[in-house]
Amino acid sequence: MNRRYPIWLIVALTPLVLGLCLLFGAEGLGLPSGPARRTILYLRLNRVLAGLLVGAGLSSAGVVLQALLRNPLAEPYVLGISSGAGLGAGLAILAGAAAVSFVAVPLSAFLAGMGTLLLVYRLASQRGGPSIYSLLLSGVIVSAMCSSILMFVISIAPVQGLHSVVWWMLGNLEVYARGLLRLSGLVIPGGVLAIWLLAPELNALTLGREMAHHVGVRAHLAMAAGLTLATLVAATAVALSGLIGFVGLIVPHAMRLLVGPDHRRLVPASALAGGMFLAVCDAVARTVLAPREIPVGVITALLGGPFFLILLRKRRARGWIE
Amino acid sequence: MSDAITVSGLHAGYGAHPVLMDLAFSIEAGSMVGLLGPNGAGKTTLFRVLTGLLPFRRGSVSLFDRPLAALSARTRARLVAVIPQELATPVAFSVEQLVMIGRTAGLSRWGNPASSDKKVVERAMAYTDLMSLRARPLDALSGGEKQRALVAMALAQEPRIILMDEATSHLDINHRLEIMQIVEQLNRTERVTVLMISHDLNLAAEFCERLILLDHGETVGDGPPPAVLTQDALRRVYHCDVRVHHDPTAGSLTVVPARSPQPAPTGKRRSVHVVAGGGCGSELIRHLLMAGHAVSCGVLNEGDADALLAAALGVETVLEKPFSPITPAAVERAGQLAARADAVVLTDVPFGSGNEPNLEIAEHALLAGRRVLVMDAALADRDYTAHKSATRRVALLVEQGARSCPTLREVLEQLD
Repeated sequence: MNRRYPIWLIVALTPLVLGLCLLFGAEGLGLPSGPARRTILYLRLNRVLAGLLVGAGLSSAGVVLQALLRNPLAEPYVLGISSGAGLGAGLAILAGAAAVSFVAVPLSAFLAGMGTLLLVYRLASQRGGPSIYSLLLSGVIVSAMCSSILMFVISIAPVQGLHSVVWWMLGNLEVYARGLLRLSGLVIPGGVLAIWLLAPELNALTLGREMAHHVGVRAHLAMAAGLTLATLVAATAVALSGLIGFVGLIVPHAMRLLVGPDHRRLVPASALAGGMFLAVCDAVARTVLAPREIPVGVITALLGGPFFLILLRKRRARGWIE
Repeated sequence: MSDAITVSGLHAGYGAHPVLMDLAFSIEAGSMVGLLGPNGAGKTTLFRVLTGLLPFRRGSVSLFDRPLAALSARTRARLVAVIPQELATPVAFSVEQLVMIGRTAGLSRWGNPASSDKKVVERAMAYTDLMSLRARPLDALSGGEKQRALVAMALAQEPRIILMDEATSHLDINHRLEIMQIVEQLNRTERVTVLMISHDLNLAAEFCERLILLDHGETVGDGPPPAVLTQDALRRVYHCDVRVHHDPTAGSLTVVPARSPQPAPTGKRRSVHVVAGGGCGSELIRHLLMAGHAVSCGVLNEGDADALLAAALGVETVLEKPFSPITPAAVERAGQLAARADAVVLTDVPFGSGNEPNLEIAEHALLAGRRVLVMDAALADRDYTAHKSATRRVALLVEQGARSCPTLREVLEQLD
């Protein structure tokens, strides 16, 4: 198995890359100088940490959903988790709940994300368990509905606070509440760890629920746990940073090509690589047109798309059977 | 002997639709049992019950005298492994990773698989001859290799019972045997109990010491293969004519679906009596039946190749005891069949003192005004009678009006 070293490579690379990201700022490359340098460095550190957490959350949620739904297209968006969480978080922000407690926004996001997932699950299950296709289909539809409702709410919202919601919706790693970052710093690593502990079950469930059952997995319990954990980390990420697409889809695929499909390695690799990827994208977003900032979601798609296509062409069918 | 599987009074089904009705049987530990039956008989439902996938309504199911419901998922996985018909996964695991999934029930969550788990996986791969393919991704395996990987995955569970759910039906004959031999060896050496669903009755008869025949959720046959695979039972269950065939050379039992002869699109239906032996008549009999003619046959010795074929195709045949000279009584009975026929065909069978009396059938038929067709090519070379008397008698037949037809084709043309 010569797929052993990339995971250590990824582990070793993470602090390096995150450190490099600290050097990127609106004033150009290098450590900040001047009277406000401590504050600026502190703000940059917050953004880098937010990138690490959000990227890790979205990527590991993508890993779980791809394994449980046995579909390479699954990611938090496709199942409506992100959009549902976005609707919950958006409503909380507009209602001014963020001012009451920093827990309000992620809690609202998690509850709405979980509610969306349950709704999608219910819609997809006609008799017995849901089929994968009806799950994906109802996920896409519910996702679109959630986005529409959020847009409707925004369009009738009072002008004050509108800018922050729209900016948040585009995906933004600027930390608007320190407490939220701290909370995410607990929830997302905890969720990723729990997902990693589920690795044997995730491996077995990719063979289908029946095979997983035969090798001793309590399939329904493991699926419920996996979906809840994926929703938890994805919703926390959405509450922290808004709607950032692409990360949950491409990072797991890229990592499957690099470290193989075994979830014992795939989960940590995806979490770290997702974190690095988003931190780098954010560094690019805040420097490339400085002093203007580009929404980081634009960069993830522009950087991630071609990168993913190259990987796919080079090592087609490694990790996924097409 | 303890029982590996005990089922009693089992009722199970889906929704309002009952599938298994009051099913009861037990399977002795270390045995190899086939579960047969037509589609919809309840075989798969029974498997789903035995693996705990489908909750049942009434009755009891125990594995090694422990109620199934009382077993945890992990304990159950250490007792029972399932080899499915095929593996459908979108993930390109390597062979080794797939086999390791068989260890799921015992794996530690923290860190890499223990060395004991790795050892079991190595052993399972060695047993199934997959060592050289261990790093190969699943999508780069052939059908037979993929199925062996599934067997290895089941072995990695170190189960005491293996359920095979049509595990070989996608494979060609060669790989089918390969899989079955691995499982058989496991059964013999490790005393793993095997219960296999198969639509291949012959494969089941070949490898299983006991067969259970299910129909409409009930047991309609249970016992050693020859007792279960009877023509009557199979006709009732499968609603199609079959011939059961005991192969004297291999000691095995073969089931052949009997195709009902299609009437010839052109030409007339005639009845033909065939004098054959030693396999010389087989092709003719098949062609006559395919052309829509009614065929009778004899006299043949029991166990003769032509006799087996005639039996398989449902041809009325006069039989003599095995390896015995043909007696006048048998000739007379065959003569009655020939008298009812439109024509008598004397095939290119070798003649000796034992079967020379068969010539009388043709001689009598000719005297009675029947058409007699003689396949007399190279007759002298296959005449082992004293003073070549068979050659002389056949020549006389032709002189008196029998038609000489050296080839099969000419026979068929003559009959048209």
